[in-house]
Amino acid sequence: METHLRGRPIVSGRVRGVALVSRKPLSFLGGIDPETGTIMERDHDLKGQTVKGRILCFPHGHGSTVGSYVLYSLVKRGVGPKAIVNVTADPVVVVGAVIAGVPVVDKIDLEQIRSGDVVEVDGNSGIVKRCQTCT
Amino acid sequence: MPDMHLTQEEEKIYDGELGWAYQISMRILVKLGDLFGADRLIPIESAHISGVSYKTIGDAPIDFLEAIADSGGRTKVSSTVNPSGFDLGYLEEMKIPQGVREKQQRIIDLYERMGVNPVLTCTPYYLERPRRGSHLAWAESSAVVYANSILGSWTNREGGPSALAAALIGKTPNYGVHQPENRKADILVKVEPKMENEMEFGALGIYLGKILGDKVPVFDGLPSRGETGLKQLGAALASSGMTSIFHRCERCDERLEKITVERNDVEKMIDDLSTASEPPNMVFIGCPHCSLSEVRAIAEIIKGRRVRDGVRLWVCTSRHVRAKAGNYVDIIEAAGGHVLCDTCAVVTWIREMGVEAMMTNSAKTAYYAPTLSRVNAILAPLRECINTACRS
Repeated sequence: METHLRGRPIVSGRVRGVALVSRKPLSFLGGIDPETGTIMERDHDLKGQTVKGRILCFPHGHGSTVGSYVLYSLVKRGVGPKAIVNVTADPVVVVGAVIAGVPVVDKIDLEQIRSGDVVEVDGNSGIVKRCQTCT
Repeated sequence: MPDMHLTQEEEKIYDGELGWAYQISMRILVKLGDLFGADRLIPIESAHISGVSYKTIGDAPIDFLEAIADSGGRTKVSSTVNPSGFDLGYLEEMKIPQGVREKQQRIIDLYERMGVNPVLTCTPYYLERPRRGSHLAWAESSAVVYANSILGSWTNREGGPSALAAALIGKTPNYGVHQPENRKADILVKVEPKMENEMEFGALGIYLGKILGDKVPVFDGLPSRGETGLKQLGAALASSGMTSIFHRCERCDERLEKITVERNDVEKMIDDLSTASEPPNMVFIGCPHCSLSEVRAIAEIIKGRRVRDGVRLWVCTSRHVRAKAGNYVDIIEAAGGHVLCDTCAVVTWIREMGVEAMMTNSAKTAYYAPTLSRVNAILAPLRECINTACRS
């Protein structure tokens, strides 16, 4: 069964992967270890998990604009997320995704996605597909 | 494809005809412009870039800055950068480890290769005052408020990457306070007490930054002169809040939403920001970096006196102002103080230098020191700061 979630296309590109979903805003600077991709933000619900190769879903970014560079470094080192799904895309995440080439869709209800779901993110059309049986 | 209008030349850059550095810069600007409803790019007079101190940014930007510099990215307009982690002339005083020194130098070298003027300051307006009405892309929030509110220039609160992109393209998307309707005041702030000194202006700013949200304030009851106090007010507003512009009025529009600040509000904020209970072993003046008249004022108070043993007195300013302030610098250093450039107490490792409590006249510094430096602060006006630093 597939669920189509219609959002707003922010950064282009289409990828499929396993979702990692948070209910909390995320700061890339200080919140993610740039060497390993492990989330280390204090009191974060994803603390200890890695963003590597995941479809990273969180409400929005917060914190320093240097966070954009952290996203670039993560991707360059092969430990970055495959795509980002937000409720509201903020400038730090958007700029980071543009320079790192990571697809972004926002205006998505994150209640509809769970960690572990296989999802397809289309940054051209703004559609996020959740699929149990996608191949 | 972008929503905003691009000229043919801009489209070519967007499509990569001038290489990756300019293409990625153009994509940053267009994406932000689309996100915030800009219709086109507008030329800027200058850019001021944040993201320099190795203490605050770490290794993260090095990869990207290197890629930009390597692929030939060069600035199109006059560009400056924020303070770094140290002053090369004071490495011993600052106890900077060798490895950190090399990484900091590498970051500065990368900016310089791109054509950025390596004057490491948060007050670029003391170097070159932007023209009234000119558009800028500045990233240091205290300088943004100063430019919009005191100099009459126009700039959004940029982040490090978007200010760099604007420097390379020489343009910025015209959203936010580049549009006249977004600069208009929408809340009247009546300040009941007379602000006695620059420290009180700062405390007022921290107090208001927390309650204004994204509203543009206009102040009734602030003096129209005295740039030092207004600089402190703006720096503080931007630290605790989202402000990028404020206004002052004499005949004020009473139809606006109105709030009143009382003496008690400011005094309580000064108490809240003064978190240290022990005597300070550092006194720091220069957040934002001192103007020539501030360096002169310090020299006049400290002349012929001596800084106590076990207390550091730091006066931070830009290389440019320090060079103009020769005599005053000599007086301050003869008294045992240090006049540092290129850095400040917020962006270097003061805790590692043994600083436990700091006295400062900057509400912005007092606001950030406990979290960014794990050092408690005492907020006091300039004269009290210098008196505390000195033996008699």
